[in-house]
Amino acid sequence: MAKKKTFIEDIERTLYDIKNEDRPVYKTKQGLTEEIIRDISAKKHDPDWMLAFRLHSLDVYNHTPLPVWGPDLSELDMDRIVTYVKPDAKMAGRWEDVPEDIKDTFDRLGIPEAEKTSLAGVGAQYDSEVVYHSIQESLTRQGVIYTDMETALVEHEDLVREYFMKLVPPKDHKFVALHGAVWSGGSFVYVPAGVQVKIPLQSYFRLNSPGAGQFEHTLIIVEKGASLHFIEGCSAPKYNVTNLHAGCVELYVKEGARLRYSTIENWSRNMMNLNTKRALVEKDGLIEWVSGSFGSHVSMLYPCSILHGENARCEFTGVTFAGHGQHLDTGATVVHAAPHTSANINTRTISKDGGIAVYRSAVKVAPGADHAKCSVNCESLMLDDRSRSDTLPVMDIQGDEADIGHEARIGRISDEAVYYLTTRGISEDEARAMIVRGFVEPIAKALPLEYAVEMNNLINIELEGAMG
Amino acid sequence: MAAEVVKEEVYSTIPMRTWRWLGVNEARVASSILAAAQERRIRVPAGEKHTVVLVYRDELAAHVQAELAAGAELQLIKVQLAEDGVRRADTIEVQCSEGAKLSYTAVEAGAGVSTTKLLVALNGDKSEADVAALYFGDRKRRIDMNYIIRQAGRDTRANMQIHGALAGESDKIFRGTLDFIRGAKGSTGREKEEVVLLSPKVRNRSVPLMLSGEDDVDGHHAVSVGRMDENKLYYLMSRGLNLSEAERLVVEAALAPVLVRIPDAQLAAEVREHIEGRLSHV
Repeated sequence: MAKKKTFIEDIERTLYDIKNEDRPVYKTKQGLTEEIIRDISAKKHDPDWMLAFRLHSLDVYNHTPLPVWGPDLSELDMDRIVTYVKPDAKMAGRWEDVPEDIKDTFDRLGIPEAEKTSLAGVGAQYDSEVVYHSIQESLTRQGVIYTDMETALVEHEDLVREYFMKLVPPKDHKFVALHGAVWSGGSFVYVPAGVQVKIPLQSYFRLNSPGAGQFEHTLIIVEKGASLHFIEGCSAPKYNVTNLHAGCVELYVKEGARLRYSTIENWSRNMMNLNTKRALVEKDGLIEWVSGSFGSHVSMLYPCSILHGENARCEFTGVTFAGHGQHLDTGATVVHAAPHTSANINTRTISKDGGIAVYRSAVKVAPGADHAKCSVNCESLMLDDRSRSDTLPVMDIQGDEADIGHEARIGRISDEAVYYLTTRGISEDEARAMIVRGFVEPIAKALPLEYAVEMNNLINIELEGAMG
Repeated sequence: MAAEVVKEEVYSTIPMRTWRWLGVNEARVASSILAAAQERRIRVPAGEKHTVVLVYRDELAAHVQAELAAGAELQLIKVQLAEDGVRRADTIEVQCSEGAKLSYTAVEAGAGVSTTKLLVALNGDKSEADVAALYFGDRKRRIDMNYIIRQAGRDTRANMQIHGALAGESDKIFRGTLDFIRGAKGSTGREKEEVVLLSPKVRNRSVPLMLSGEDDVDGHHAVSVGRMDENKLYYLMSRGLNLSEAERLVVEAALAPVLVRIPDAQLAAEVREHIEGRLSHV
């Protein structure tokens, strides 16, 4: 008897694909030259050191080759990418002041509603600039800073200068160098020592302009004993030209601090998502990553945790869903650089309809990081034989006091499990759908409720789908 | 006097590259070693069962190619016990036709620098590969292993069990790939590496790859890296063994599943003595 397959509906994108007219007040020319960098810097009123930093990054970019591993990036032609698009909107502190069409976009995405019900602060970026930022007054009174990077550069220049691209230096790889040269927008968060931010902050990044790049920079500093949950969302309408996202996230988790960083990424299928995220975790600190990768044409994303202080911890929970035309190369890296550090990586990948899902990771235990513990579990589900699923973890352990375990599985929906459920009176379609939902459940559980719902909507399992 | 420049070439690569900073994408070997490779061909006719034992004790490279016809079975044992200063590079390639079965056992316990690759192609339906390897690193030994089992036929079975212990300042890379090719319906693959770390100066790199272009497969890999189980040591010491005797016994027990696969009792005893002798200096 031929084996049946569950038909899983592709991600419903209608909501995200609504385009606004592209009417920026300013756009750079296509490509990447010193003239363009100077132009961006002047338009943004950068201090001199930032212009020098941008030019240095451009030089690094020009001398750094493309990675020789990972997805094919040959379709990316930087001569055709517009690196800076200033929307026709000024940064607003009141939602009513945001231009109508931009406001409508974020309304449809549910951002202002979420702000009212479940967030302590919101940032909204449209193309290259942040158009709205808010934070609850009670947090401001406690010294919490949540603002766009440009404002931070003016009002908290010393802090920005101390931390900006120190954790992710431009020489790391080509797209970080690109980011250093053309970065614009993003969020700056500073949580003073001992302050517990109990309700999450959220930044939402929307790229509307066709053929453009988005290079937002997120810099978060959680001081000693403080805590924060930060949520990042991203989407874009689909165009028939390549868009590029090369953001950079730098997270500083100080002694005894906790930071949860959740992302639901749903870029359109013409997007190349070459994003870099890194956290430096000090003594007794905790970084928790929750990462959902659903969109983009090509993704390369491996959030990195450097466990720098004794007892520093990392929890990484990720799900990747690669559908038709997608090559999503995702995973995580952990560096154990101090004794008694621990990490737990738990991921799920699904591939269907010709999609390629790759889990790639690195666990490094440096000499002297005695009693480091790391547990990695990755599971891959393939829904047809036109898709691919690859797992490529690397463990590099120096010293003899580590305890490292890695486990991975790959396969399809088990006929036995379907059979078992059908014997309990559940229809075959529902049984298969239940198994897929159960497969991603560990990730859904780690998300705030409203984002778990969004993830379920994204996956949009067709309960009565055709078998084929 | 200027140092002699040794010309090297890429000897093996993992099927899918990754970050360069981890140094695991490829192994390089001196061209002079590869040029001196001893060629050996093994053909097992349909339905026959052969056993071949390869013992390497000197500084040379070996290139072994085996073809298993339909229903053929090959028990291939490779033991490498070369002296410390020796550099070796060994390639084993095995093609399996329908219903063919490969049992491969490897002991990598010698040579200063040992680089090996194993390529098994399960081309035929219902073909099987059962691979068990043991490595032991001590002093400044460098061990580089790249094992790839490619499952192309339907209902193929692959099993890769690797046991190792690292002492002294040894440095080892093990790359193990299970590659399910589209069309390998009903196939299963298992890979497991267990590494015991015995010294603060060792470096262990483990790279278990699992690649799949076929959904109707069942693949699983696992790696476990750590110190010796303290409960086992405690138990043995409570029975009167001192720490070093207890450690030796635990390592020997960890390597035993591979040693029992060596059919030649004299050779198995030699390997055991070789490792025990080295363990006594750890």
